[in-house]
Amino acid sequence: MKYAIETFDLTKKYKNFTAVNSINFKIPKGTIFGMLGPNGAGKTTTIKMLNCLTQPTSGTASVAEFDVKENPNEVREKIGIVPQAVSLYKDLTVRENAELCSDYYGIPDEEKNDRISNLMDLVDISYAKDKLISQLSGGQKQKASLVASLVHRPDILFLDEPTIGLDPTTKRVLWNLIRDLNNSGHTIILCSHDMHEVDMLCDNVGIINTGKLVAYDTPQGLKDSLLKDEKMEYEKNISHTLNEVHNENGGNLPINLSQNQDNICLKKMSFIIENQNEEIINSIKALKPVNEVKLGENNRINLKINSFDDDVVNDVIKTIISKNGKISAVSTEEPSLEDVFMKVTSEVDKDARA
Amino acid sequence: MLELKKLSWMVKKEWLSLRRHPGRLVSIIAFPIIMILLFGYGMGGDLSNLPVVVVSQDHGDLTDLTLDTIKSEDIYHVVNITSDTNAAKEMVDSGQVKAAIILPTNYDSSDGQQKTATLYLDSSDQMGSQTLVPATQSIFSQLSIKQATAQQTSTMGSNGTNVVNEDADTSGSLSASLDSAKSTINLQINRIYGNVKYMDFLVPAILGMTIMMSCMMGMGASIAGERETGELARLFMTPTSVATVIGGKILGKLSVEMFRSVVLLISAIILFSITIKGGIIPTLILLFLGALCFVGFGIMLSARTSTQEDYTQLVMPFAMPMMFVSGVFYPIETMPWILQKLAYVFPLTYLNDAMRAVMIKGQTLGDVWLDIAVLLGFTLLFFLIGVKRFNRDV
Repeated sequence: MKYAIETFDLTKKYKNFTAVNSINFKIPKGTIFGMLGPNGAGKTTTIKMLNCLTQPTSGTASVAEFDVKENPNEVREKIGIVPQAVSLYKDLTVRENAELCSDYYGIPDEEKNDRISNLMDLVDISYAKDKLISQLSGGQKQKASLVASLVHRPDILFLDEPTIGLDPTTKRVLWNLIRDLNNSGHTIILCSHDMHEVDMLCDNVGIINTGKLVAYDTPQGLKDSLLKDEKMEYEKNISHTLNEVHNENGGNLPINLSQNQDNICLKKMSFIIENQNEEIINSIKALKPVNEVKLGENNRINLKINSFDDDVVNDVIKTIISKNGKISAVSTEEPSLEDVFMKVTSEVDKDARA
Repeated sequence: MLELKKLSWMVKKEWLSLRRHPGRLVSIIAFPIIMILLFGYGMGGDLSNLPVVVVSQDHGDLTDLTLDTIKSEDIYHVVNITSDTNAAKEMVDSGQVKAAIILPTNYDSSDGQQKTATLYLDSSDQMGSQTLVPATQSIFSQLSIKQATAQQTSTMGSNGTNVVNEDADTSGSLSASLDSAKSTINLQINRIYGNVKYMDFLVPAILGMTIMMSCMMGMGASIAGERETGELARLFMTPTSVATVIGGKILGKLSVEMFRSVVLLISAIILFSITIKGGIIPTLILLFLGALCFVGFGIMLSARTSTQEDYTQLVMPFAMPMMFVSGVFYPIETMPWILQKLAYVFPLTYLNDAMRAVMIKGQTLGDVWLDIAVLLGFTLLFFLIGVKRFNRDV
């Protein structure tokens, strides 16, 4: 069995509202899967069904090779959950909470103490083991929650926005921990709104919107597909415009299409040219695919390019150098996971409104 | 074994939580003691030392006797004895005293005319009035019997039947006539459970009510509250049955409630000198059964509520009427018939009845079997509905 999780038309309805609509996906074992989606899209309900915290209305899922409907207790033994709300007893200490969970998972007494101590060392919370949960900081609470969720050595770990509200340093500590856990064989399901986090950590990403899975690929695959989509859309628009103009002009082709391309931005570039001057800027502006030049602070020039052609980058650099420009920094901006997220969720929104 | 560990964690958690919040511990014990103090002493208890003024406008034996009698009664605290009727009335009007007892100007004359003493009463104090009127009536009816007998004796004397020194013998003949009056109408009061004070009546039911409120409110925090904050989800993430999770909650709650019951019983004995005629163990058994029943009620209501606020809104319409209708403060028989009928559908009524029977009357648990059976019946019903309706979804 290659898959840690496999869903089969997984559906959850609340009266007239369909929270999750016949979702199908597979998560390979030993990978980190990022689940994205706007608020109210159905992510949490999907996760709850996979965690046996709520029953599917129809369809089912296999988690760690057990059916969530048929064998919920076996599923529970194989999964660990770090919920968004810490959900540990606030009047108990970190250690007491871990012991409580350990006993609820039925860990033998002789193993319990060692496991808890090792886990507390792993996540680096041993120094606060006798502190009450109510006395801990946000990051410490998440670490305590991790200990309680890992005490039974689950194969699959669900993390629901584990780094929300944490400072950048603590975030990095948790990210490293997630990688370490994954390296030690845990399959990890990460729900997050932090695109950077998902892009950096996840092997695969699924985007859920209005109860449906609207995208599923590797983070790079998703970004590439956005580029591909935009290129196709751009070419479609061009041919559409050409046809329109051709018809209007009685068959005479226009010479310049730049007017119609003004608002299209397919790539962004940014340069720092130390000896920046009018001549350099004008020669960049004269380049055909460049449709916007903005001057920024510290001799920075930001360009919007209306072409996918990789030669454009070359052309711009050549132009600057030919005018004796000294380039001290150059960067290009590709579509981000956030762009993918915005695109696929807005498409579904448009469909839903239509 | 494993399930036992899970159950014991919930008990341990309750106690650790209480130990770490000593303020909470003090408040759960202080609350019922304050209730008993407020209701027991503040309202409806045995009133005494009500300030009164007496207007005495005549002199003589009857006046002296009347004044002595009034002074000797615990219910009155005679602030002043005056001959000025208006001044006395003003004292009542201004709220200095609760009543003025006005003896008429002809009070001591033996002209055979009707004598009318007046009770000028501050009737805005309903509780005070209720006590003062019958007490004062009783004093004057006693005195009029005395006087009637005295007149009879004196008439007999003037008829020559009993020629003795009238002046010297007056008091002797008066006391003799009182004796004769007493022997004429004799009401014997057999208090079969001894002299039961309002406090004795109140304490068993306050204990029952405290347990009811605490169990019903506590289950809200324990289930609906934890559902809201996520701890319940944490328990349901583990391979644990609904029965074990609920069982743990019940045991945790019951352990605290039983501890509280013991502390309360001891406090009631020390603070209010109550006696528990049926013994402490049967009383605790009743409180345990009551707690179990109300915990069941709480589980039934919290089975599907998702927040503590929802639960509180749901529980108050049950808890408040139960508190006032189940005969905690007044006997059920004194309530309007519709409330009497309503009382029979509230489990607290049966707990109060059994508690009073054991604590005041000294009956055994066997004597109150019917109350116990009804309580157990309610408990079973609540648990069945609660477990059946319980929503594991979080």
